[in-house]
Amino acid sequence: MADTTIRERTLAPWLGLLLTVLGLSSNALPFTRFPEAPVPWISILVSLTGFLVVLFGLWRSFGQSTAYKGKLLSAVAAGFSLLFLAGSIAFFWSARHIPPESAAAPQVGQQVPDFTLPDTTGHPVSLAQLFSVSVLNRPPKAVLLIFYRGYW
Amino acid sequence: MPVAISVDAQDVSEKLRRKRGYTFLFLSDPKAEVIRRYQLLHLGGGPEGTDIARPAEFLIDRSGTVRWENFTEDIRVRPRADKLLAAARSIR
Repeated sequence: MADTTIRERTLAPWLGLLLTVLGLSSNALPFTRFPEAPVPWISILVSLTGFLVVLFGLWRSFGQSTAYKGKLLSAVAAGFSLLFLAGSIAFFWSARHIPPESAAAPQVGQQVPDFTLPDTTGHPVSLAQLFSVSVLNRPPKAVLLIFYRGYW
Repeated sequence: MPVAISVDAQDVSEKLRRKRGYTFLFLSDPKAEVIRRYQLLHLGGGPEGTDIARPAEFLIDRSGTVRWENFTEDIRVRPRADKLLAAARSIR
Protein backbone atom coordinates (compact mmCIF):
# COMPACT_ATOMS: atom_id res chain seq x y z
CA MET A 1 0.00 0.00 0.00
CA ALA A 2 1.38 3.43 -0.95
CA ASP A 3 2.30 5.83 1.77
CA THR A 4 -0.50 8.37 1.73
CA THR A 5 0.80 10.47 4.60
CA ILE A 6 0.21 14.10 3.80
CA ARG A 7 3.21 16.12 4.79
CA GLU A 8 2.56 19.44 6.49
CA ARG A 9 4.22 22.68 5.74
CA THR A 10 6.12 24.11 8.60
CA LEU A 11 5.88 27.83 9.11
CA ALA A 12 8.77 27.79 11.53
CA PRO A 13 11.50 28.97 9.11
CA TRP A 14 9.42 31.97 8.02
CA LEU A 15 8.39 32.84 11.56
CA GLY A 16 12.02 32.63 12.52
CA LEU A 17 13.06 34.87 9.64
CA LEU A 18 10.40 37.39 10.64
CA LEU A 19 11.60 37.40 14.23
CA THR A 20 15.21 37.87 13.14
CA VAL A 21 14.31 40.84 10.96
CA LEU A 22 12.09 42.27 13.70
CA GLY A 23 14.80 41.87 16.28
CA LEU A 24 17.42 43.55 14.19
CA SER A 25 15.24 46.42 13.00
CA SER A 26 14.08 47.07 16.55
CA ASN A 27 17.63 48.11 17.34
CA ALA A 28 16.57 51.68 16.74
CA LEU A 29 14.04 51.50 19.57
CA PRO A 30 16.52 51.07 22.42
CA PHE A 31 18.48 53.94 21.01
CA THR A 32 15.56 56.35 21.15
CA ARG A 33 13.55 55.01 24.07
CA PHE A 34 16.18 53.67 26.42
CA PRO A 35 19.16 55.94 25.74
CA GLU A 36 21.08 54.82 28.79
CA ALA A 37 21.34 51.19 27.68
CA PRO A 38 24.23 50.82 25.24
CA VAL A 39 23.58 47.13 24.58
CA PRO A 40 20.25 46.45 22.80
CA TRP A 41 19.38 43.35 24.82
CA ILE A 42 15.79 43.18 23.62
CA SER A 43 16.70 43.16 19.94
CA ILE A 44 19.43 40.61 20.51
CA LEU A 45 17.03 38.34 22.38
CA VAL A 46 14.35 38.59 19.71
CA SER A 47 16.86 37.95 16.92
CA LEU A 48 18.34 34.96 18.73
CA THR A 49 14.89 33.52 19.31
CA GLY A 50 14.16 34.03 15.64
CA PHE A 51 17.31 32.22 14.69
CA LEU A 52 16.47 29.30 16.97
CA VAL A 53 12.99 29.08 15.43
CA VAL A 54 14.62 28.97 11.98
CA LEU A 55 16.86 26.13 13.13
CA PHE A 56 13.82 24.34 14.47
CA GLY A 57 12.14 24.75 11.09
CA LEU A 58 15.21 23.35 9.38
CA TRP A 59 15.14 20.35 11.70
CA ARG A 60 11.50 19.74 10.90
CA SER A 61 11.98 19.96 7.14
CA PHE A 62 15.15 17.93 6.97
CA GLY A 63 15.12 15.79 10.07
CA GLN A 64 11.44 14.99 10.00
CA SER A 65 10.95 15.04 6.26
CA THR A 66 8.35 12.30 6.41
CA ALA A 67 6.07 14.61 8.40
CA TYR A 68 7.10 17.98 6.99
CA LYS A 69 7.87 19.24 3.54
CA GLY A 70 9.52 22.43 2.34
CA LYS A 71 13.24 21.64 2.45
CA LEU A 72 14.10 24.21 -0.19
CA LEU A 73 11.96 26.96 1.29
CA SER A 74 13.22 26.44 4.81
CA ALA A 75 16.80 26.46 3.52
CA VAL A 76 16.08 29.75 1.75
CA ALA A 77 14.55 31.23 4.89
CA ALA A 78 17.53 30.07 6.94
CA GLY A 79 19.92 31.56 4.42
CA PHE A 80 18.20 34.93 4.51
CA SER A 81 18.05 35.13 8.28
CA LEU A 82 21.74 34.27 8.47
CA LEU A 83 22.46 37.01 5.95
CA PHE A 84 20.43 39.49 7.99
CA LEU A 85 22.21 38.52 11.17
CA ALA A 86 25.67 38.82 9.65
CA GLY A 87 24.88 42.06 7.88
CA SER A 88 23.43 43.72 10.97
CA ILE A 89 26.31 42.69 13.19
CA ALA A 90 28.74 44.13 10.65
CA PHE A 91 26.73 47.34 10.34
CA PHE A 92 26.35 47.98 14.06
CA TRP A 93 29.97 47.12 14.71
CA SER A 94 31.23 49.60 12.13
CA ALA A 95 28.76 52.30 13.21
CA ARG A 96 30.04 52.45 16.78
CA HIS A 97 31.74 55.83 16.36
CA ILE A 98 34.09 55.57 19.31
CA PRO A 99 35.35 59.14 19.78
CA PRO A 100 39.02 59.87 20.46
CA GLU A 101 40.45 60.80 23.86
CA SER A 102 40.04 64.48 24.75
CA ALA A 103 42.33 64.68 27.73
CA ALA A 104 43.34 68.24 26.91
CA ALA A 105 39.76 69.55 26.65
CA PRO A 106 38.67 72.08 29.28
CA GLN A 107 37.96 70.42 32.64
CA VAL A 108 35.60 71.54 35.41
CA GLY A 109 37.14 74.58 37.09
CA GLN A 110 39.15 75.63 34.04
CA GLN A 111 38.60 78.65 31.81
CA VAL A 112 37.38 78.08 28.30
CA PRO A 113 38.76 79.88 25.26
CA ASP A 114 36.65 82.65 23.77
CA PHE A 115 35.42 82.31 20.19
CA THR A 116 33.33 84.04 17.51
CA LEU A 117 31.29 81.93 15.11
CA PRO A 118 28.41 82.69 12.73
CA ASP A 119 24.88 81.63 13.64
CA THR A 120 22.44 80.27 11.06
CA THR A 121 21.61 83.77 9.81
CA GLY A 122 25.29 84.53 9.22
CA HIS A 123 25.47 86.85 12.22
CA PRO A 124 28.80 86.49 14.14
CA VAL A 125 28.31 85.51 17.80
CA SER A 126 30.99 85.50 20.50
CA LEU A 127 30.97 83.65 23.82
CA ALA A 128 31.13 86.98 25.68
CA GLN A 129 28.11 88.24 23.73
CA LEU A 130 26.05 85.22 24.76
CA PHE A 131 26.23 86.41 28.35
CA SER A 132 24.86 89.84 27.48
CA VAL A 133 21.80 88.51 25.67
CA SER A 134 18.56 89.03 27.59
CA VAL A 135 16.65 85.85 28.46
CA LEU A 136 13.43 86.48 30.41
CA ASN A 137 14.59 90.06 31.15
CA ARG A 138 17.90 88.87 32.57
CA PRO A 139 21.27 87.91 31.13
CA PRO A 140 21.94 84.15 31.47
CA LYS A 141 23.90 82.89 34.49
CA ALA A 142 25.38 80.17 32.34
CA VAL A 143 25.79 79.05 28.77
CA LEU A 144 25.61 75.40 27.75
CA LEU A 145 27.93 74.69 24.82
CA ILE A 146 26.77 71.62 22.94
CA PHE A 147 29.40 70.32 20.54
CA TYR A 148 27.86 67.73 18.27
CA ARG A 149 29.04 65.58 15.37
CA GLY A 150 26.85 67.22 12.75
CA TYR A 151 25.76 65.82 9.35
CA TRP A 152 22.19 65.22 10.48
CA MET B 1 21.18 79.15 27.63
CA PRO B 2 22.10 76.38 25.20
CA VAL B 3 24.25 76.92 22.11
CA ALA B 4 24.94 74.13 19.61
CA ILE B 5 28.22 74.01 17.67
CA SER B 6 29.27 71.70 14.83
CA VAL B 7 31.07 71.73 11.49
CA ASP B 8 27.71 71.83 9.69
CA ALA B 9 27.15 74.76 7.34
CA GLN B 10 24.66 77.44 8.35
CA ASP B 11 21.88 76.15 6.10
CA VAL B 12 22.29 72.56 7.31
CA SER B 13 22.13 73.68 10.95
CA GLU B 14 19.12 75.89 10.27
CA LYS B 15 17.30 72.96 8.66
CA LEU B 16 17.99 70.79 11.72
CA ARG B 17 17.01 73.59 14.10
CA ARG B 18 13.70 74.14 12.35
CA LYS B 19 12.95 70.45 11.95
CA ARG B 20 13.36 69.85 15.70
CA GLY B 21 11.73 73.11 16.68
CA TYR B 22 14.72 74.25 18.73
CA THR B 23 14.79 77.95 19.60
CA PHE B 24 18.43 78.19 20.69
CA LEU B 25 21.42 79.28 18.63
CA PHE B 26 23.24 76.98 16.21
CA LEU B 27 26.78 78.12 15.39
CA SER B 28 28.83 76.92 12.42
CA ASP B 29 32.48 75.94 12.72
CA PRO B 30 33.12 74.51 9.22
CA LYS B 31 36.93 74.42 9.53
CA ALA B 32 36.68 72.99 13.08
CA GLU B 33 38.80 75.89 14.37
CA VAL B 34 36.90 76.35 17.63
CA ILE B 35 36.53 72.59 17.92
CA ARG B 36 40.31 72.34 17.80
CA ARG B 37 40.68 75.16 20.31
CA TYR B 38 38.53 73.14 22.72
CA GLN B 39 40.52 69.97 21.98
CA LEU B 40 37.41 68.18 20.73
CA LEU B 41 38.58 67.23 17.26
CA HIS B 42 37.60 63.83 15.93
CA LEU B 43 40.03 63.47 13.02
CA GLY B 44 38.30 61.78 10.11
CA GLY B 45 35.29 60.97 12.27
CA GLY B 46 32.70 62.23 9.84
CA PRO B 47 31.36 60.70 6.62
CA GLU B 48 34.04 60.50 3.90
CA GLY B 49 36.69 61.06 6.53
CA THR B 50 35.92 64.70 7.34
CA ASP B 51 37.11 66.22 10.61
CA ILE B 52 34.29 66.80 13.05
CA ALA B 53 33.73 67.42 16.76
CA ARG B 54 33.48 64.52 19.18
CA PRO B 55 30.29 65.01 21.20
CA ALA B 56 30.74 67.03 24.40
CA GLU B 57 28.79 69.55 26.48
CA PHE B 58 30.13 72.29 28.75
CA LEU B 59 28.21 74.45 31.22
CA ILE B 60 30.08 77.78 31.38
CA ASP B 61 29.46 80.54 33.93
CA ARG B 62 29.93 84.30 33.37
CA SER B 63 33.61 84.13 34.30
CA GLY B 64 34.20 81.59 31.51
CA THR B 65 34.74 78.74 33.96
CA VAL B 66 33.51 75.21 33.29
CA ARG B 67 30.97 74.18 35.97
CA TRP B 68 29.79 70.91 34.43
CA GLU B 69 30.78 68.90 31.41
CA ASN B 70 29.97 65.69 29.63
CA PHE B 71 32.07 63.75 27.14
CA THR B 72 29.94 61.25 25.28
CA GLU B 73 31.87 58.01 24.81
CA ASP B 74 28.95 56.09 23.33
CA ILE B 75 26.47 58.01 21.20
CA ARG B 76 23.71 55.79 22.51
CA VAL B 77 24.24 56.85 26.12
CA ARG B 78 22.96 60.34 26.96
CA PRO B 79 24.03 62.57 29.87
CA ARG B 80 21.77 62.64 32.90
CA ALA B 81 19.71 65.82 33.08
CA ASP B 82 19.63 65.84 36.89
CA LYS B 83 23.40 66.32 37.21
CA LEU B 84 23.33 69.14 34.66
CA LEU B 85 20.43 70.84 36.45
CA ALA B 86 22.14 70.53 39.83
CA ALA B 87 25.26 72.19 38.42
CA ALA B 88 23.20 74.94 36.78
CA ARG B 89 21.32 75.66 40.02
CA SER B 90 24.56 75.94 41.97
CA ILE B 91 25.75 78.84 39.84
CA ARG B 92 25.23 82.23 41.47
